[in-house]
Amino acid sequence: MKKISRRSFLMAAGISAAALGLTACGADSQSASGAEAKDGISVAALSSAYVEKNPAMWDEICEAFTEQTGIAVSKLTLEKNLEDVIGASMQGGDYPDVVCLSVGRPAGLTEQFVKDKLIADITDVLSMTIPGEEETVGKKIAGGFTDNSITNPYGDGKTYLAPMFYGPCGLFYNAGLLEEKGWKLPTTWDEMWELGEQAQAEGIYLFTYPTAGYFDTFLYALMYTVGGPEFFDKATHYEEGIWDTDEAKLCFEIIDKLASYTNPKTPSQANNQDFKMNQQMVLDNQAIFMPNGTWIAGEMKDSPRAEGFKWGMTALPTVKAGEAPYSYTWFEQTWIPKDAANVDAAKQFVAFLYSDAACAIFAKAGAIQPVLGISELVEDEYSKEFYAIYDNGAKAAMGNFAPYKSTAGLGTVSEVFLEPINALVSKNLTRDQWVADIKAASDKMRENLL
Amino acid sequence: MKSDKRRIGFLLFCLAPATILFLVFMILPTLNVFRMSLFERGAYSPTETFVGMSNFVTLFGDVKFITAMQNTVLLIVTVTIITFAFALVFAGILTREKIRGQNFFRIVFYIPNILSIVVIAGIFSAIYKPDSTGMLNSIASFLSGKTVEILWKDQPMVIVSIIIAMVWQAIGYYMVMYMASMSAVSESLYESASLDGAGRLTQFFQITIPLIWTNIRTTLTFFIISTINMAFLFVKAMIAPGMADVGLSFMYNQKDAGLYGYSMAAGVVMFIFSFALAGLVNLVTKRDVQEV
Amino acid sequence: MEGKKMKKGSYGDVLYKAFIYVALVTLAITVIVPVGWAFLASLKENAQFYGNPWQLPNGLHWENFVNAWNAADMGSYMVNSVLVTTMALIMLLVFALPCAYAISRFKFKGRNFLQTAFMAGLFINVNYIVVPIFLMLKDGDVWLKKTFGSPFLLNNLFILALVYAATALPFTVYILSGYFASLPHDYEEAAYIDGAGYFTAMVRIIFPMAKPSIITIILFNFLSFWNEYIISMTLMSSAGGSKTLPVGLLNLMQSAQSQTDFGRMYAGLVIVMLPTIILYMCVQKQLTEGMTVGGLKG
Repeated sequence: MKKISRRSFLMAAGISAAALGLTACGADSQSASGAEAKDGISVAALSSAYVEKNPAMWDEICEAFTEQTGIAVSKLTLEKNLEDVIGASMQGGDYPDVVCLSVGRPAGLTEQFVKDKLIADITDVLSMTIPGEEETVGKKIAGGFTDNSITNPYGDGKTYLAPMFYGPCGLFYNAGLLEEKGWKLPTTWDEMWELGEQAQAEGIYLFTYPTAGYFDTFLYALMYTVGGPEFFDKATHYEEGIWDTDEAKLCFEIIDKLASYTNPKTPSQANNQDFKMNQQMVLDNQAIFMPNGTWIAGEMKDSPRAEGFKWGMTALPTVKAGEAPYSYTWFEQTWIPKDAANVDAAKQFVAFLYSDAACAIFAKAGAIQPVLGISELVEDEYSKEFYAIYDNGAKAAMGNFAPYKSTAGLGTVSEVFLEPINALVSKNLTRDQWVADIKAASDKMRENLL
Repeated sequence: MKSDKRRIGFLLFCLAPATILFLVFMILPTLNVFRMSLFERGAYSPTETFVGMSNFVTLFGDVKFITAMQNTVLLIVTVTIITFAFALVFAGILTREKIRGQNFFRIVFYIPNILSIVVIAGIFSAIYKPDSTGMLNSIASFLSGKTVEILWKDQPMVIVSIIIAMVWQAIGYYMVMYMASMSAVSESLYESASLDGAGRLTQFFQITIPLIWTNIRTTLTFFIISTINMAFLFVKAMIAPGMADVGLSFMYNQKDAGLYGYSMAAGVVMFIFSFALAGLVNLVTKRDVQEV
Repeated sequence: MEGKKMKKGSYGDVLYKAFIYVALVTLAITVIVPVGWAFLASLKENAQFYGNPWQLPNGLHWENFVNAWNAADMGSYMVNSVLVTTMALIMLLVFALPCAYAISRFKFKGRNFLQTAFMAGLFINVNYIVVPIFLMLKDGDVWLKKTFGSPFLLNNLFILALVYAATALPFTVYILSGYFASLPHDYEEAAYIDGAGYFTAMVRIIFPMAKPSIITIILFNFLSFWNEYIISMTLMSSAGGSKTLPVGLLNLMQSAQSQTDFGRMYAGLVIVMLPTIILYMCVQKQLTEGMTVGGLKG
């Protein structure tokens, strides 16, 4: 099969600070009249952590949609293993009208659809009026989210995947502790190591992490930091020799060095049972930084903490002073299969996902839509602050490791790149061995790229 | 006598449902383990491609699988020896000696066996905390007089932690079982041995153990098969992924990755491994049986 | 002590006794303390979990249980677990009793083969075959969906119960047929002479006599069904779908991004283990006595 050359996921489109956080949305007025679907549309959505938080989230969305447009949602498929459930039936020609499933999943179903050009062009949705509102979809979605290589995979200026829930990731720390000790927030890795020494002298470790899996967003941002989008793109497509480049070496060196500054208790708690105790180490000043997401403040809301504790979030330190730092932004996607029965009604549905009503329902479960003025829906003080990270000059890093066909004997990205970090910290694995394993696996991943 | 037709009808009525269920949910899946190990099938499409032995070739070159098998063997050997030694000795004590509160001990020792592995994992999570807020570390700190911070769930202690939890779970069950078989040993044997001057230890090894040897052999075989399974349940519920995989957890992980054929190849190896081991144990423990 | 004869009440004897008591008490403590700790922990306030583990609860925080029951859905998981366990036990008895009876008390062609087959089943641990069972049901669902428009097999409590019952058959048939075989044949003969059919003789005469064995297998299988989590997790994978208690507890313990509440977690843990502990306390005699027959638990 011919391999489609891959463009970078996103050419480092920093989300403009003004775009996020300002501008209120239009009030709702006339009801949009659109295409009618005879028996209603069918929606298939991945059941993610948000659904765990509010199991009725998608039901509420569907109800609100029907109320607004009169189009019924006849079927809602909500599964953790959505690929397993809808994959086979789609091969049989039975398509849901709307699929809320992102790229970067192990099964790579969305990538498969992108590759086979089976996704409907939804560029016209951007100029549609949001049902119940006056604004168009395109104007309401924040900048950078509809002109990147994930949403516009063919580089023809047309949008195929609609951007959904997003969130900045970075390093979280106790801002109160830095203040109290008079330590400056490090902006370069050199300053980071300096702080590591200073803190070590006071019995505080520089770093911890909940589980090795939390390194994913960290690693992505680090790859942007050392080599920019170009290096990121090559590395995430396992280009030959990429792990021998200076950028890659720097990446490994930083992680290895960070491992030596990591609180040694970390790996013993880096499992699904005890990871919260690693997060607790930041609250207890046993470690300063950890990679995490905006949900952390809520997750640890009731946990005891050191006096004067205050959450802080920062982008990754840079290699040289003065460079713009990167903070990884993940966002999810929704799309319409080209051969779905009710494409027009499905487009209404997608447009509705950006309405104030929908955004509010999503926000209740902590799912933040990439629309202007969303910060008003972010109730929590901390989250407001976290979502403003790009105001402080950080650039958004987006993208994922390219999915590859799962192959016997070849581990997952997490098994190859991230899980060994535990052994790196507990000194049961050397950096050289880790890198050698990554190189060997990377070669096989390249051969099996989807 | 009743007519043949009615007899056949009755037998069919009795046997057919159970046999069909047994066939569909046990025999068929078992055969499928072997069949599917020769195929590869897509993660979300049911098409299967015949790949011959290639899954096995990859499997024996997969460092992760070899480590998992090493862990499995280590767990079987240590958990079996520790559990059986403790269970036999305590059962011997509780049946032979006049112990106050004997019933109480029997009831208490059995408790871990009635708990779900998920519950045990939750309890041991508090026991194994790495700082002084962990039960084990706080006891160790108290006894040694200095702060002990053993990283129980990290390399290299993680395997010890699994062993402790597994022994804790299994010991009572086997003890109660041996108590049952030991109490069947005739009292007169001990009395005459006692007259011959045999002490407790001699009695234990010369009378008790030989007389319940058949029982020990049978349970040993099942214990090994059950340990392979238990190791999986404990690792899955308690330990970080990739930290200390065992044979069956490796198999399950491959299923999660959508590599069904590869997963089943690991399943075949586990099947053969456990039967071979059970056979070996059976052979090694063969003795002339003394009748009670 | 070896080999030397000792008088009752001698110094060595006392020492030996003392040693035994210390050993027994130590072992008892290693069981009671962790389990008792979990009960106490379920009444603690969240903040207490970060300090000395030996602290007593600073008040009886029963709201942990309310939280676990409502907010963490343990209440509905409890209903699911009760449903699955009950259905599985009923099905198991309905299928296993007649089967064991026929195998042990009738001579027919293929009897030995059937008996050996069920015996062999004792060696097949269900976790070895959970993947093919899952795939079989998954393929079945795809086919059902194509033919009838809706899947039925996965995420279905009844099917889960059926799988439990089916995989418990070898053990149950083995124990029951062992018992049935030990009964003299006179019972049925007398019933037949009185004009009873095969079925009546089986249900009215033999089954009531097997009550102790039936209770034993109910106890053992109740524990294994109630506590099981791998099959349940695999066959009930739908996020919004029903879950059994152990899987619900596992999710509660491992849920990331949701609010941390250890008190609630241990309350959930107690909710899972309490029914088994209560049952055990009521029937511990039957259970431990039943072990003479139940020595082959997987």
